[in-house]
This record gives sequence, C-alpha cells and structure tokens, in this order.
Amino acid sequence: MAGVWILAESREPTLELLSAGIDIAAQLGVKVAAFALSSQLAEEYIKCGCDEVMLLPPLAAGQPLESYVPVIVEEALLNGPDIILIGASQRGREIAARAAAALNTGLCSGCTGLRLDQEKKQLVMERMLFGGAAVQTVVCETRPQMATIPPRTFEQAQPAEGHQGEVRQLPAAPPSPVTVVERTPKTSEAVDITEAKTVVCVGRGVGKQEDIALARELAGVLGGEVGCSRPVAEDLRWLPEELYLGISGKKVKPDLYIGVGVAGQIQHVSGIRDSKVIVGINRDENAPIFEAADYGIVGDLYDIVPKLVKEIKAALKI
Amino acid sequence: MPRIIACFKWVMDEADIKADPKSRQLVLDRVGYKISDYDRNAIEEAVQLQEKHGGSVVGITVATPGAKPCLKDALSRGPEKACFVNDPAFENLDPSQTAAILAAAIDGKIEYDLIICGEGSSDLYAQQVGPALAEKLGIPCATYVNKLTYVEGENKVIAQRKLDDGLETVSVKLPALITVLPDLNTPRIPSLKQVLGAAKKPVDNVSLANLQQTFEPCLKTTGILAATMERRRLKFTADPEDIRKVVDSLIKEGVIA
Repeated sequence: MAGVWILAESREPTLELLSAGIDIAAQLGVKVAAFALSSQLAEEYIKCGCDEVMLLPPLAAGQPLESYVPVIVEEALLNGPDIILIGASQRGREIAARAAAALNTGLCSGCTGLRLDQEKKQLVMERMLFGGAAVQTVVCETRPQMATIPPRTFEQAQPAEGHQGEVRQLPAAPPSPVTVVERTPKTSEAVDITEAKTVVCVGRGVGKQEDIALARELAGVLGGEVGCSRPVAEDLRWLPEELYLGISGKKVKPDLYIGVGVAGQIQHVSGIRDSKVIVGINRDENAPIFEAADYGIVGDLYDIVPKLVKEIKAALKI
Repeated sequence: MPRIIACFKWVMDEADIKADPKSRQLVLDRVGYKISDYDRNAIEEAVQLQEKHGGSVVGITVATPGAKPCLKDALSRGPEKACFVNDPAFENLDPSQTAAILAAAIDGKIEYDLIICGEGSSDLYAQQVGPALAEKLGIPCATYVNKLTYVEGENKVIAQRKLDDGLETVSVKLPALITVLPDLNTPRIPSLKQVLGAAKKPVDNVSLANLQQTFEPCLKTTGILAATMERRRLKFTADPEDIRKVVDSLIKEGVIA
C-alpha cells in the first residue's frame, strides 16, 4: 500500500507518529500503514486509525532490531509509499538513514515540526541546526519523503470507534552480519525528568559531586527533580545519563527550570527551550545562560542556593 | 592489522554564530571553523587502534577547496595520510550527497577494513552519513558505539552500543563501519611537533571530475532562521533582597506553589 508509513520501536512513539500520519494522509487523500512487532500491537494500531499494519516476524536470537532494514526497504520498493515517518530513537535513526540510502531518497533527521504544502503535495519539515542555534526548513525532492521524529513531538492517536484495517505478514529478515553478544537493559530510574514540573539542573559550576545535595535541597522545597548538563553525566559521571538535558539528551518542558552553575551552551539550551520560566545562577555575568533566562542571578551558587531555599521556605511557609 | 578510514567534517564553530535579532538571519562573517566535535573522537579511536594493533589510518573529508586548513588539523591528530575530496560544488551538501560522495571516493580506491565516523556532525547533526555510507558500500555498521575492540586474527570488532534502552554489545565482521559517541575516548591535543609534522604528510586530492559521477541533493533547504527565544533576561545579584524579589516573581508567575 502506498500512502503514509509509520515505523517506531515501541507502542507510544508509534501511536504518536500515527496521529501525525493520519492527519497528513487525510489531507493527501491516502491511507496510513504502520509496522508492528506483534499482532497485539497490530490490532491496537488499527483501532487507533491505521488502515494497514505490516507485521514484522520475530527476529532470530542474537539479531539486532536494525536487521529489519532489508525487509523495510523491500516493502518500500514494492509499494512505493509517499511518506515514511520513523521514531527518532537511536535504532530508528540508524534504520532510517540506511533505508533512505538504499531507497536513494532524502531524510529529514530529528524533525521537530512538519506540515503539508497542499499544492505541491510536499512535506515542509523543520529541524534544528548548529546545536539548536538555528531552525532549518527542508523539503524532500525525492520519494518517499522520509523523516525521523523525536518522541513526544505529537500526541498519541486515540482509539477511533469501529475503525477497520488489514494486517499483512512480512517475510523474515535475512541474517544480519551484526550479531548481539550481550544486552544490558537500562535499569529504569524511578525519575522521568521529562515529567517534572520543576527541574533544578546541575552544571559544571558545581565543584564537587557531594554538592549536588544543594541542588537536591532546592528541588526538594520546590517539589521538583534534579537534572544536569551533558558533561556532568558523561565526563564526570556524577548523575545518570538519562538525567542530562540538551539537544542530544532529554528535552524538558517544565513550568520552572533553575540552572545551578550551568553555563548555557546552545546544545544545553536547546533541551530546555520550551520551559515556561528559566532561572539561571552563574558567577560569570557573561555566561550564555543569562541570554536564555527570564531571571538571572549573578554570583556564587554556594551563596545563592541556600538563600533561595530559605526564601522559598519562608514564602511557602514550610 | 586493520586498515582504518576515519571520516571527518570541517564545520563552522556554532559558538561563533550570531543572529540578527530583527531579521533572524544568521551572521556568519566572523565564524571560525573546526573539525566537527565527534569526528575528533572518530580520528582518535582510529589512531589508538593503530597504535595498539598496527595497520594504517587515512583521514577522509568531503568539502569545498576552501576547507584546506582542515587537513593539517586532522593530520596533526595522528592519521598518516589524508584524502581531500574537494570541489567548489561541494557546498551545503545534504547528508545523502555526502554519503554518496564518500562512497564513490572510497569504493575500489582505498583499501580498508574499518571505517569510523562520529555519531553526527556539530552543524547538521543529521546522524545519517555513517549508516548511509555503510549502506552505499554494502558493509555492516554499528552505530552509537562507546567501546570498541578489534579482535586480532578474527577479522572482527566487538562494539558496545549505548542506546536509549540500555547497552548492546555486538560482534561485527570486517569490513564494517562504526559511528562513535564522545564518551569513547578523549581526543588528544596535538603537540607543536605533531602540528609541524602534519604539513609533511601526504594528501590525496580527489575532485568531482575524478569521481565521474553526479551527486544530486534529495533535500532542499527552503530556509534557515535563528532559533528565537523570548526571555526577559532580568538580572539580579546575590543580595537577600534580590533573591526575595526573584522568589516573589516566581510565585506571582505561578511556577512556585
């Protein structure tokens, strides 16, 4: 089936892309198809508005998910979809890049917004450039038009009353020359930083790992969570990597973001851009965080944070 | 002994990019250039593997002729040779073009066992060129690698991938392509001797005419605008009174309760 195709690693991102896909397909007057990894998911996608589900057979033991690339490419060559939207997980990005190369078509990576140009029947897609300093608008001149889309860009599609669709079984993937030797699932941290209403972010200005306690105390009185900048997680390893914010890490949209000793590199600011209110604390009055902040407090964080905690406690009477 | 190709890109330093607040146009006339951040990790990994196992390292880039300073920079980081695929037409390439040009410059022309690329470039960060190049060359790839081991005598690498849902260690037969994360290694800072020595290393110049192909873009950029962020940019000091003002404002805005 031609039309709009959806591919994502798991249920939630598939449903998110499905809602975007349904919208575009309606404007184009075409159908929506999605890939699924189980018949249970296939049924759910159909209930949520999918016209056809392409069911991927289970992989042989030790085969990574990317082994499906040849199957996906083959289906696209046979059916000629207009558009393929792929969830921008890391595996999704690799799958998309390889499929686009095999199909000799264009791929908009990390697409943060898209609309249809009705006249040209073309997607107009936006993405970040230069670590988030600029927004690039692109169109794809070849077919299929492809994009990888980060999680939570769209709301999930909801079940539509009595929606019908077909499930089509795809052939098995050929053996991949890449084999999995070992998997270590991420121990799921209790905290999902993207859900927090208030985020207190630890930057390199915090001198010692134990001083993160200061940020925790501030987050505590605000009922918020502690996040960090990329170097604090990756270079210093003071906090788990799922807590770093930025263009390559978590994107957060809290009501209140407080950067504690965060310099405010563009790559970091891209991840906090959609916060309602941004507060920056830094001793360097020229730190870029002050350009990105509503309230900038210039000074020593070891002096400021305890004062903030005290004032907040007094104001909230806790 | 692995013959390694390290791919790198010469990019504008995003820290130098300014924007005109009214027109939202980027002001690029004072930008400096650098080797894309994660490509330095790619070069470093290639050189470390060579130091351990022997073999060779060639650095390759696709650029306009004006990017020539990138060669000295890259070669000072350890590769013994560079392949400079350059043409005035190679400006603002889309990722599909870069991958196709690299494939045309490598396939049948440079012997290799392993190609190493950065996770993504600091300018476009499309994260496409590595896996797309592997696909064009018909070789396997492993992306987002944060630990890489070359297994002597078995013609394979063991790569640990760092993914959203955990770690995945894969075994990949060579020839293959790997894209690397910045936490894989710490790129060396070239010494003066290495910088001076870089000028004497050989460079293969490859032009569009040498490749005997055309490379059409798939994506067309219809606009680039500075990302705007309307913020109040109010500044306060560490004085208790100032701190109280900030807290009062935050309560008024309804973000503290």
